[in-house]
Amino acid sequence: MSVFKGHNLFMQMMAWMCSLFSLTVLAQSDPTGEKRVTGTYAITNATVFTSPGHSVTQATIVIKNGLIEDLGKNIKIPIEAREINGDSLFVYAGFIDVAGNAGVGKPATPERPNDFDPSDPPHEIVGITPYREVLDDFDAEGEEIADWRKEGFTLAQLVPKGDGMMPGKTAIAVYGQKGSSNIIAASAGFSSKFDAIRGMYPGTTLGIMAKWRDLYKNAELSAEHQILFASNSGIIRPEKNKVLESFFPVIDKEVPVIFEVSDELETRRALALQREMGFNLVLTGVSEGTSLISTIKEANVQVVLSLILPKDKASKKEIEDASSETTARLDRVKEAYKNSLKLASQFEKEDVAFAFGTQSAKSEDFMKNMRLMIENGLSEEGALAALTINAAKILNMDKITGSIEKGKLANLVITTDSLFKKGSQIKHVFADGYLFDYEDTDKQKEEKDEDDPVSGSWDYAAETPEGSSAGMMTLKKKPDGYQGTITFDDPEGGGKKTNEMKNIEWSGNTLKFDFDVDVKGMHISVTVSGDISGEEYEGKLSIPDFGSFPFRATKTPDSNHNI
Amino acid sequence: MNKIFYIVTAFLWINLYPLQAQSRKGNVLIKNATVLTITNGVQEETDILVENGVIEKVGKGLSAPANITVVDAAGKFVMPGIIDAHSHVGLEVVNEPTSPITAEVWMGDVVDPFDVGIYRALAGGVTISNAMHGSANAIGGKNITLKHRYGTSNPEDLFMKEAPRTIKFALGENPTRVHGRAHGIQPRSRMGVEAVIRNGFNEAIQYKKSWETYNKAAKQKNSTAVPPAYSLRLQTLADILDGKFIIHCHSYRADEINMLINVCKDFNIKNIVFSHVNEGFKVAPELAEYTMGASVFADWWAYKFEVYYSTAYNAAILSKNGVVTSINSDSGELIRHLFHEAGKTQRYGGLSDEEALALITINPAKQLGIADKVGSIEEGKQGDLVIFENHPLSVYAIPQMTFVDGIKYFDIKEDENDQRIKVSATEMVETVYLKEDDHKCMHGVEMFTETGNFFSTH
Amino acid sequence: MKLNSNIFLFLLSLLPFLSYGQIEGEVVKPRGGKFLLQHATIVTVTEDTIENGSVLITDGKIEKVGSNISDANATVIDCSGLFIYPGMIDAGNRLGLVEVNSVAETQDYAEVGNVTPNMQALTAINPNAVAIPVTRVSGVTTSLAVPSGGTFPGTAALINLNGYTPDQMYTGFKGVVMNFPSSAKSSTWDRRSEEDIKKDAEKAMKTINDIWEKATTYHQLSTAKAELQYYPEMKQLAKVISGELSLLIEVNAASDIEMAIKWLENKKINAILTGVSEGWRVADKIAAASLPVITGPVLSIPNRKSDRYDAAYTNPSKMLKAGIKVALRTNDAENVRNLPFNAGFAAAYGMGKEEALKAVTIIPAEILGVEDHLGSIEVGKSATLFVSDGDPFETKTKIKHVFIDGYQVPMSNRHIRLYQEFLERSPGLEK
Repeated sequence: MSVFKGHNLFMQMMAWMCSLFSLTVLAQSDPTGEKRVTGTYAITNATVFTSPGHSVTQATIVIKNGLIEDLGKNIKIPIEAREINGDSLFVYAGFIDVAGNAGVGKPATPERPNDFDPSDPPHEIVGITPYREVLDDFDAEGEEIADWRKEGFTLAQLVPKGDGMMPGKTAIAVYGQKGSSNIIAASAGFSSKFDAIRGMYPGTTLGIMAKWRDLYKNAELSAEHQILFASNSGIIRPEKNKVLESFFPVIDKEVPVIFEVSDELETRRALALQREMGFNLVLTGVSEGTSLISTIKEANVQVVLSLILPKDKASKKEIEDASSETTARLDRVKEAYKNSLKLASQFEKEDVAFAFGTQSAKSEDFMKNMRLMIENGLSEEGALAALTINAAKILNMDKITGSIEKGKLANLVITTDSLFKKGSQIKHVFADGYLFDYEDTDKQKEEKDEDDPVSGSWDYAAETPEGSSAGMMTLKKKPDGYQGTITFDDPEGGGKKTNEMKNIEWSGNTLKFDFDVDVKGMHISVTVSGDISGEEYEGKLSIPDFGSFPFRATKTPDSNHNI
Repeated sequence: MNKIFYIVTAFLWINLYPLQAQSRKGNVLIKNATVLTITNGVQEETDILVENGVIEKVGKGLSAPANITVVDAAGKFVMPGIIDAHSHVGLEVVNEPTSPITAEVWMGDVVDPFDVGIYRALAGGVTISNAMHGSANAIGGKNITLKHRYGTSNPEDLFMKEAPRTIKFALGENPTRVHGRAHGIQPRSRMGVEAVIRNGFNEAIQYKKSWETYNKAAKQKNSTAVPPAYSLRLQTLADILDGKFIIHCHSYRADEINMLINVCKDFNIKNIVFSHVNEGFKVAPELAEYTMGASVFADWWAYKFEVYYSTAYNAAILSKNGVVTSINSDSGELIRHLFHEAGKTQRYGGLSDEEALALITINPAKQLGIADKVGSIEEGKQGDLVIFENHPLSVYAIPQMTFVDGIKYFDIKEDENDQRIKVSATEMVETVYLKEDDHKCMHGVEMFTETGNFFSTH
Repeated sequence: MKLNSNIFLFLLSLLPFLSYGQIEGEVVKPRGGKFLLQHATIVTVTEDTIENGSVLITDGKIEKVGSNISDANATVIDCSGLFIYPGMIDAGNRLGLVEVNSVAETQDYAEVGNVTPNMQALTAINPNAVAIPVTRVSGVTTSLAVPSGGTFPGTAALINLNGYTPDQMYTGFKGVVMNFPSSAKSSTWDRRSEEDIKKDAEKAMKTINDIWEKATTYHQLSTAKAELQYYPEMKQLAKVISGELSLLIEVNAASDIEMAIKWLENKKINAILTGVSEGWRVADKIAAASLPVITGPVLSIPNRKSDRYDAAYTNPSKMLKAGIKVALRTNDAENVRNLPFNAGFAAAYGMGKEEALKAVTIIPAEILGVEDHLGSIEVGKSATLFVSDGDPFETKTKIKHVFIDGYQVPMSNRHIRLYQEFLERSPGLEK
């Protein structure tokens, strides 16, 4: 299928870079005073872990132009270098997030056409948008990026956040300085997940599996058609189809499918599709399924484990005069909890290289969870490899990052003690050659707490008997109270609707409001009421004559500032 | 003692079961039982030898090969594993309720090996179930015939790979409510259901033809033929027309059954079984003449309007009219006592023991196209067996052991609480459910209709 | 069978078991009078079983039970080789309150409102519900019609399954229903979290206590002859406090049962626990509180995924063995006819046949306070009984005759009539 060779990764990347650079040419000095004086640094006399298991003591690293310029003992420090005294500091390669959402926004779902047919919805409404670029919804200055960088992450594969089974293409970005595009590659992977938009086809996992097979086969046929057209006369003109064309690099194995899975059975489904079609597969969000390790190994599939671990409720649970049956049941829960913590070490034991992805995880839990995995059998070398060199290999970028070597990207994590040791703190992070210092970590938090608890955007989910319904609510403080809107799944079929909130009441911790839903000419007034605690809102949604359902919302990060 | 025992069994489940699942064929000798062969009468004080998962010998005084497990079943009854021709047990998703035809979807993609409902079915002697798509669409998905090899985490271990493919159709209230009433697209009536099915088949004929034309042209030297678009949906419908599927059609009323019989006649489809078919008794002669049979409920009726004019004598009337009849569950509750459901046909219509037992063994096997492999105790058939205390048609019958391929998956004396394979790491307070609502035909379907009511339906 | 005479012969052949089988043009209706059932094995339930005995039915009552009874005026029914049992009582269901469950217009078991104890199930009983004759030919003669819905959904009523008005059917028991706050999920599609369920239950508990306090006040003031405003809800609840009516407490999860027992402490009311699907977990506590239990359906799945597969089958026997008075119910509507099979399963799974029989006859009669006229074959009791050719729990057994309040009811219903018409359809395949 030589016809697509021109569309290789490099070209696309260049196109992206060009378009972005052209926007940032400014004929200005820096009146803000934010610009750094020098981009050259020297970390001296530090313990440097060049790669997992390999370290050099009393070493010096020179950073210049965003790259590791030099490394070793007795190195000449350039005169323009700012020196960082590395006595008693430990230096590691910057962490790599193989599947993350930091800085990625959710694209808006288009309005449904008037003649909307749920059995055959337009691709962009049902979340089949593999042609979309995650970069279209990427904010390199998003607060989450700073949060993860603070934990040592310096580079990430960005996974699109849109709804549906094929939300778009991934990209690779470095967590560098503001103002730079920070993009290393666009169209790096083909993102997919078992996420159905309810009420339209494909509305369940069943439909997603069938649709995958159907689209892939048609993409192959479409490619065949294009080749015929390109080299013969008398061929019917192939209809341009951006969905099918997005599969071409997957079919040619130029980019992998980045498949997000939430449990063992979903992992099996992704593996089944891979087996049938033969594409390159990267599984992300893997959080269970030790019995699958050998299968994964045989299939030569890349694995990205989730950084989310289950909350430890079991071992803390104390039950007064528990029956033997209850105790036995809880023992199984504890066992399951233990097994979750052991998953990474199991992969290590079976010699399957894996990396981590931050998707849906909380940055503040990161180091705690890493330590838990290490306490449960994962070696420190294995943990570091997963965060660095393994991740670089999965992204096919181990030539430029993933370890501390001359010529690689200047992405470094500098800690006060051995990385995973309790009490060890990250003091500096280099990303893209830029230095980020971490000294007083509590200040930001205090500021945040003073913010208005209600205003902002909230992602909510309501659990109704027939499945969960999700959407967004946006609230704004006004002199005479709050104003807001809420989006919800249109009960008459797929897609979202937006309505004004009514009767918004805020007292104590309780937020209450109403909104209207129209179903088949019926006018239903829905009431939501619940308590805000920090970034979480928990309550219920009541429909008259119908019942009440749990309603939960989480404030979207940074949302206070975007209003 | 208890605590240790539980911990040990918990480990056994984790560690032993995957091994068992891999070595899927077992050996066992059952001695001195009253054997209900189904196809060859009742044989008293008889032995059954299963080797490598297959019934090797049925006879008196069989000698035990070396190292074989011997089960003394004196005073007990042995019957073939019970077969449920219509079930939704062991499925994560039941309906893809978004299009009137979804022939392309396949239940094999959503099999849930962790569903404890499979174990409960085994405890009721059920060894095989047809895990079906729901009844939201006129043409639903491809089903998967499961053997209840519970204990594995791999769905494929449950697949009965040698079973022919079956596909779900549905008529009447369910598809017309889901599509016509809720979404304003056809079908809204029983007229529309017929039209949707006929449209599908006719499109499939055109589809097949376009591919045949292409394939022929593509064989020519230096062909520049352009391949037509692919459609897994139309391909599946074309396969139905080519006899590669057995249709299992959810239906209730006599008129709609008659409609589909006529459609099948027109498209020369022979492989069709009607499911639930509460008014089947009204068209028993037609079902006997033109179909592979009817799979009914023993006594369910009146839960919705299209089953108001039902009779519990349905199975008896159908059987006496020569229809291959089975009793299905469509329910995670009912599947646990299909032997009792079969027994009800003795009260409602006076079927003989042999006729009643056929309803849950050889007849559903015929309807699933696997009667040459299972459904009776015969040499050469698969070693799916159930040992009962008391005759299985008695209300006092209690399944004692259930074997699939000669491997024992249920034993009343050994099995303890908590047969879950997978346990949540965070579920502290175990959920108490008051009612079983899962595993039914309309599972997962939007029921938010004009009246704002939820329906409990099948 | 194309000849009419053959059809006639065929119909005759049905007569032995459909002794009241319908013949074309004949009007079939219940028949009163004096009946002498002879040469039967009489399973009295409360006394010894009588071999080759007779039962004389006069004016709706059992006049005589024993051997060598004769009466020249009675219609004699030979019961040689047959058995006589008291009619079975289903102690909780919706029979007669709903016709077709998916058709909202035919649902009469639930009202709008959370506190509606004054709603009378008896009012909404449709004596001509198609399911009633379908039920009674199985030997189930008596049924407790229970409203459902809110915290206090209404007042249940015990009916016999023969009569042309609810009043003719009513047979002596009414009880106010209370849905105890539940920590359980109503079904697998109930997606509330642990916390939400707990909150909902706490709120419901508060409602119950508030309401109860009001009812107590209402009772005290009205006993003191105070002039009170019209308040039918409290008036009805006051009848529970005064002991005039029983309180049927629907409660299932183990922890809820414990809460209910606690709630009942120091309340001097006639309480009956219903549902009680996890009763086996806390059987000792129920027994210690001397609370009677109406449980079922026995044919249901366990409440928890980790439960042993037969948890529901063995629940009645475990409670019985702990010393609890246990009656059974189907909690069904159109398939109340399955009561004997529920009893059969309970019997097989530990209860034993004798106790299971009691659990659908004399025990519910005692729990509902109608043992003076129902629940056993005794002189002076209502002639509500049936004749079978064997154990009524067995599916193979045929029920031959059913008497309700002395009326011999037709052994026919829509299911049987459809059988008669369609067993050999005419025309058949060819017209």
